[in-house]
Amino acid sequence: MQNYCYRHHPDVSCNRQADAKQMEEIQDSLNQLDKSDQEAISHVWSIFSAAPASQRTLMLKGLLAQCCFPQLSQVAAMLDNAIRLDFITALPVEIAFKILTYLDSSSLCRAAMVSRAWKRMADDDIVWHRLCEQHIDKKCTKCGWGLPLLEKKRLRESKRAMELRTQQMMQEQQQLHQPQTHNSSSPVSQSASTSQEPPKKKRKTRPWKEVYAERYIVEANWRGGRHRSAEFVHTSPVLCLQFDEQYLISGTSIGIAYIWDIETGKLVRKLSAHAGPINALKFDSTKLVTGSTDKIIRIWNYKTGASMGTFNSHASVQALDFDQTLIVSGCADGMIRIWDFKSKTCFTLAGHREAVTSVRLHSESSTLFSGSDDATVRMWDLKTRKCVNEFSVPGSSDAHVAQISCVLPLFIDHLENGGESGSCTSFPDDENNKNSMFAVVDERDPSPSTVAATAAAQDRRRSDEEEEARDRFNSSMINRNNSDSMGIVGKYFSADTLVDPRHPTHILTGSLDATIKMWDIRTGKLVRTLFGHIEGVWALAADSFRVVSASHDKTVKVWDLQSGRNWHTFHDHTGPVCCVGLSDTRMASGSDDCRVLMQCFDDFGAQK
Amino acid sequence: MMEDIGGDDDVEIPLPNATSNVLKKILEYCEYHKDELAPASEDESDRIKRTTDISDWDQRFLSVDQEMLFEIILAANYLDIRPLLDIGCKTVANMIKGKTPEEIRRTFNIQNDFTPEEEDQIRRENQWAEDR
Repeated sequence: MQNYCYRHHPDVSCNRQADAKQMEEIQDSLNQLDKSDQEAISHVWSIFSAAPASQRTLMLKGLLAQCCFPQLSQVAAMLDNAIRLDFITALPVEIAFKILTYLDSSSLCRAAMVSRAWKRMADDDIVWHRLCEQHIDKKCTKCGWGLPLLEKKRLRESKRAMELRTQQMMQEQQQLHQPQTHNSSSPVSQSASTSQEPPKKKRKTRPWKEVYAERYIVEANWRGGRHRSAEFVHTSPVLCLQFDEQYLISGTSIGIAYIWDIETGKLVRKLSAHAGPINALKFDSTKLVTGSTDKIIRIWNYKTGASMGTFNSHASVQALDFDQTLIVSGCADGMIRIWDFKSKTCFTLAGHREAVTSVRLHSESSTLFSGSDDATVRMWDLKTRKCVNEFSVPGSSDAHVAQISCVLPLFIDHLENGGESGSCTSFPDDENNKNSMFAVVDERDPSPSTVAATAAAQDRRRSDEEEEARDRFNSSMINRNNSDSMGIVGKYFSADTLVDPRHPTHILTGSLDATIKMWDIRTGKLVRTLFGHIEGVWALAADSFRVVSASHDKTVKVWDLQSGRNWHTFHDHTGPVCCVGLSDTRMASGSDDCRVLMQCFDDFGAQK
Repeated sequence: MMEDIGGDDDVEIPLPNATSNVLKKILEYCEYHKDELAPASEDESDRIKRTTDISDWDQRFLSVDQEMLFEIILAANYLDIRPLLDIGCKTVANMIKGKTPEEIRRTFNIQNDFTPEEEDQIRRENQWAEDR
C-alpha cells in the first residue's frame, strides 16, 4: 500500500487509466526525436513513474516552476480535460445511486443514453422506484408532476424484491471495494455464490422505469390533451353516469338506465322501470342504485338486469349515494333520507330550505356532505344526525350566488397557490404567476335550473384491502378517543371535529353561478374559485390530480386540482353537459345532446 | 462516529483514503457549519424529496475540480458527514441535469461504447421522457 497513492492502487477501481489513443500520440512524437533525446525523456518518465507519490508531487512542482506562461496555459488546458472523471462508475454504487436519485425522469433517461455503465445504473429499479414513490398517486411538490395510480397492487409487490436487490448490490459493491479483506480470507466464493442466486428469481415484475414510463405517458397525454374518443348514443338526454374499468352506466330523462361495455362500445342492457327521469345513479361491483323523479330508488343487479329492491323516497330523488351500510337520497323537498341496511332503519336530515341536489357520503368519518338549490353546502355528522358545518353561507362575500349542483369531498395533501389553507406550503414566485390563468367572468348569469342532475362522479377506488383495514383500525381508534371527549358538538365545529384526521380536507362545490369553489373543511373558508365556465356548472368529478367539470355552456373543462389551472376545455357536446365521470385514464361526459362522450388518455395510439 | 469509537478525545481516527488537501477542505466545511444542528435522523426519502438547491456558501465551497469533488464525496461518506455527502451528490446531479447525453459524456470524459444501432434503440426507448 505504501508504494501507491491511494488512487493509483491497482485494486481501486477508480484508478485513472491512461488513454490508449493519447499514449500512441505521445509515442509518435517521441519517435520523431533523436535517439539520445528519446532515451533522456524516457529516463525522466521512468524516474517519475517509479517515484512515490510525495516525490512525484515534488517533481511536478519543480517542473511547473520552470514553465513559462504559454506552457502553463497548455498544462491548464490539458488538465481541464484530464481531470474529468466518471463519477457514476468511479464512486461506490450506493453513492452513485444517491446522485441519480436527485435527477428527474428526463435527465435519467438522458443519462441512460451516455454509456453502457451509465445505462445500467440510470435504468436501475433503485432509482426508478424512488421516482415512482415520489410521483405515483401524488403530486411531487418539486416538479408539479403526479402520475396516475393505474394499479397500486403491483407497485407494492415488487417493492420487496427491490429492497432485496439493493442489499445484494451493496454486498457486491463491498466485495469489489475491499479486495484486501477478500484476498486474505477464503469465504469469498461462498458469499459470492449466495449473492448470485437470488437475482435469478427476482425478475418476475416489470422494471420500475417501465412502470413510471407507462404512467408518465398517460399523464403527459392528460396534460397535452391527447386522447381517443368514444361515443355512446342514447335516445334522450343523459342526466347521470358512472363508469369503471368494464362498464359505463348512464341514466336518462326517459327513465331508462343503459349499461355499456366500455371496450366494445356496445350496449349490454337497458333497465327500464322508472316512471320519470333518472336523476342519479351509482354502482359498485355488485349493485346499481338509481334514483328518479318518480320518488323511487331502485336497486339492480346490473349484471343480470334483475331488480333487487326499491325504496320509496317520498319526493323526487335529485341525488343519491351509498356505502356498505347506507343509502342516501337527496330529495326535491329539501330532505335527505337515509336508509340503514344494518339496522333496517330510516331517518331524515332536515335543514336545506330547497331541493337537495347533491349528496356525498364519507364513510370513514361518518359524515355526509350535501348541496342544495338553497345555495348552501352542509356537512352532517351521521352519528349525531346533526349538521356540523355549513359552507357557502348566504350573505357571506365568497358564497355561491346560485344553486349548488355538486359537492365533492376530497383529501388534498398540498395546494399550490392555496390561499388560506393551513396545510398549504409557500411556493416560489414563478409558481404563483403560472397559476393565475383562469379567465375571470364578471357577469354571472345563473341559468334557470330545470332538472338538477347529479354527477355520479366516481369515488377514488382505493381498492386495497390492506389499506382499508388499516384505515378502519385507525378510525376505530379515533372513534373511541372521540366518544370520550364528545358531547360538545355544537351547531358548528367543535374543537374535536376541527382536527379530526378522518375528515376530508377540502370540498369542491359546483354551482349554477358558473363557478367551482374549493373550501377548506377545517377552517370552513374558501380556498379558491375556479372561473371559466360561462353558464352553470352541473357536475364535477375529481381525483388526486384533476377536476373535471360539466357545464350548461356545453363544455367540459379539465382543471389542475392543486393549482386551479385550467388545462383543457372540450367543446364536443352540442347541448348542456349534465354529468361527468373520471378515472386514471378516462373521462366521460353525458349531455342533453343524448350522447355520452368518453375520452381515453392511455398510451396506445393516443392521437388527437 | 465518535460514539461508535468510544468517545475518548484522543482516539486516533484512521483516514487511509484522504489526502491532506481534502482534509483541509472538509475541516473548512465543518468549521463553517459547526453551529448548525445536526440534522435529526431524517428519513432517506424525506431528504431526497427536497430540491437540489444548495446554499451559496456550499456552492462556492464545492466550486472545485472534479477530482477534489470526488474525494470530498468519498471522504464525507467515509466520515459520515451526511450534509456534505448530500450537497456533494447534489452538485454532481446538477452537473448531469438538463444536459444531452453527448454533453454529459464531455462533462465527465466518458467514451460512448454503444453501437449506432444500440444508440438508436436506446434513444427510442427513452423518447417518452422528452414528451412533455
